[in-house]
Amino acid sequence: MIEINQLSHQFVLGKKGQQSRLDVLKNISLHVAEGEIVSIVGRSGSGKSTLLNLISGFIRPTEGEIIILDEKVSEFTEEEFAEFRLKNMGFIFQSFQLIPSMTAYENIELPLILKGMSEQARKQMTLDMLKTVGLENFKDHYPSELSGGQQQRVSIARALVLEPPLILADEPTGSLDSETEADLLAFIKKLNKERGITFVIITHDDEVAKIGDRTIEIADGELVRSGVFV
Amino acid sequence: MKLKDQFRFIRQNMKKNRMRVFMTILASAMSVAFLIVLASVAFGLHDTVIKDTIESPEVTQIEVAGKDTGNGNAESLTNQNITEIEALDGVNAVTRAKQIRQETRYVTDGYEINTQTVQSHFPSMENAGIELGEGSFPETKDEVAVGYHFALNLLKDDVADEDIEYGEDGHLIPEQRFSGEIIGQTFDLEFKRMEDGEEIAETVPVTVTGVLEKPGREWAWDQKVYITDEKLAELEAITGTSKAMLTDPSEAGEDIGYDTATVYADDLEAVKSVMTSLEEEGYYVYSIVSEMGQINTLFNIAKAGLIFIGTIAILIASIGIFNTMTMAVTERAPDIGIMKAIGASPKVIKRIFLLESTYIGLVGAVIGIAVSYVISIGVNLALPMILETAFDEELPAGLQFSSIPFTLVLIAVVICLAVTMLSGLRPAKRATEIDVLKAMRREI
Ligand SMILES: Nc1ncnc2c1ncn2[C@@H]1O[C@H](COP(=O)(O)OP(=O)(O)OP(=O)(O)O)[C@@H](O)[C@H]1O
Ligand SMILES: [Mg+2]
Repeated sequence: MIEINQLSHQFVLGKKGQQSRLDVLKNISLHVAEGEIVSIVGRSGSGKSTLLNLISGFIRPTEGEIIILDEKVSEFTEEEFAEFRLKNMGFIFQSFQLIPSMTAYENIELPLILKGMSEQARKQMTLDMLKTVGLENFKDHYPSELSGGQQQRVSIARALVLEPPLILADEPTGSLDSETEADLLAFIKKLNKERGITFVIITHDDEVAKIGDRTIEIADGELVRSGVFV
Repeated sequence: MKLKDQFRFIRQNMKKNRMRVFMTILASAMSVAFLIVLASVAFGLHDTVIKDTIESPEVTQIEVAGKDTGNGNAESLTNQNITEIEALDGVNAVTRAKQIRQETRYVTDGYEINTQTVQSHFPSMENAGIELGEGSFPETKDEVAVGYHFALNLLKDDVADEDIEYGEDGHLIPEQRFSGEIIGQTFDLEFKRMEDGEEIAETVPVTVTGVLEKPGREWAWDQKVYITDEKLAELEAITGTSKAMLTDPSEAGEDIGYDTATVYADDLEAVKSVMTSLEEEGYYVYSIVSEMGQINTLFNIAKAGLIFIGTIAILIASIGIFNTMTMAVTERAPDIGIMKAIGASPKVIKRIFLLESTYIGLVGAVIGIAVSYVISIGVNLALPMILETAFDEELPAGLQFSSIPFTLVLIAVVICLAVTMLSGLRPAKRATEIDVLKAMRREI
């Protein structure tokens, strides 16, 4: 599913003329198989989010290549990456990233609109998705009118509505209480089992890391451990 | 993403900031209306002038002043020239006249008038469609036609010179002028001839058969007497000079050409080709059609200038559009970031914002056009009334101050759309450049 070869990333800091470079990721190579749940752990500032942002195409690597579904995405143009994301990736963010002026229904419908689907098809799929995450009674609520857990479920519904083969999550349980967190983890497990969706999840939380088939640990931008979590 | 959905986005976005969008639309509507109304004055007056020219009877007339004899000298037209011109394609008739080269005086019982005498070719006048106000064209030698103002200046002969009074119209007061029926009236044509250095008075009879129509121009006077070819021949025989010039026959040169000749073309289209043929033959010609080219150039320059000034107004309004769009992009940056993260293509994002600015421009243009028509109609109704009361003067009928042809509307729409699209370009580009991560951290 994901193939990363000798990936390095530097951030350029400071004003022009007095710039310094910060090595955030150093020579990382890893492989994620189809249908896997991989959790990425590591101390704060170790470069986890940076790695995920590189996979998502939100930033471009300084060196190395990223291959997803046999496509060399690290060489994509912005336009190509956008299309690829829409088709193949779903995102779950710690702070949900819902559009505040849109209702739960409209937020979930958004990827379908971007895909250019007809209104008829969109309606069915959106309502189905609302039901899947158990929010059919909240479809006309704006994000500000939903609890954190409900918001996270809307964002999951949005990530899943186009049924992408890969879902990337950066601390998805960070804003949730432990019970809601357990629900979410069960749901992820279920999606993985039933639909074979691959998950890459960044977490600080051992509970979350446990659901992963494999855990990758990053320290100071280097891959220190990659193996089955025990 | 479907176009329909893009429009839905735009509508939602605009709803969020109704007031700002409204003000921006208002500004562009005002600027478009300004451009159209301003330029419509040039269009309206141009139309009026053109219509005036085309509808005037003079439009098919070509005045021929003479012919180039080859060495730069002009010569007046001879009968042979006239025959040549009459044979040209598109020529309906050629009227021509010779002026008698001395003062003439017409006397009938109790009345008299000093006036000019002109020999005219009446058959060609009839062919040219010239109509008499009264009576019929002279046919025999002693018959004459008189100008419209002839009778108005036919003075009672018992009025002393110092008692002569003129009315407000510039002609004799009714008590001092002829009041009978002019048609059929017989006059003595008094003129002189020169013999051995002495002037000898001569008299021949003439009878009025027709009165010409009032001249088209308000200020033109016509109190001349128009005589036939035969009558002129008679006068020439008596004086022994051409055009009855008052000189000794032995000293008089030959002067047989026509003083004026006017070619009547079949229609407006024929005027140009006839003019060209005449010019090729070396004739000196003039027609108001040749002036129309200059008038058109003049008005086209005026139109371009006014449209240019109007464009500046639209450019100023476009600053508003630029502002509105820049603010819209800034405000929606977090949403745009999220959409980009999910997979909205930069192209689509750019298109949405371009469509929005274009939409604002288009709605502004449509409103501006509607307002311009209202203003234009209002101006055409009100301005003549205001001017007439203010200056107490009647304006010519059919005068149009403002006219909005479709081309002007098209020009305004094209300028407005081009300007609004240009002003939306930069904000739209900024929208595509929004950094996903920064936007999601709400750092923008
Ligand atoms: N846009 C940026 N510009 C410059 N430096 C950055 C940028 N983003 C991250 N960094 C730096 O890169 C390093 C890694 O950051 P990253 O966000 O990947 O850490 P992380 O492992 O996700 O940490 P956390 O667990 O706290 O989220 C940090 O030292 C951070 O300061
Ligand atoms: Mg992080």
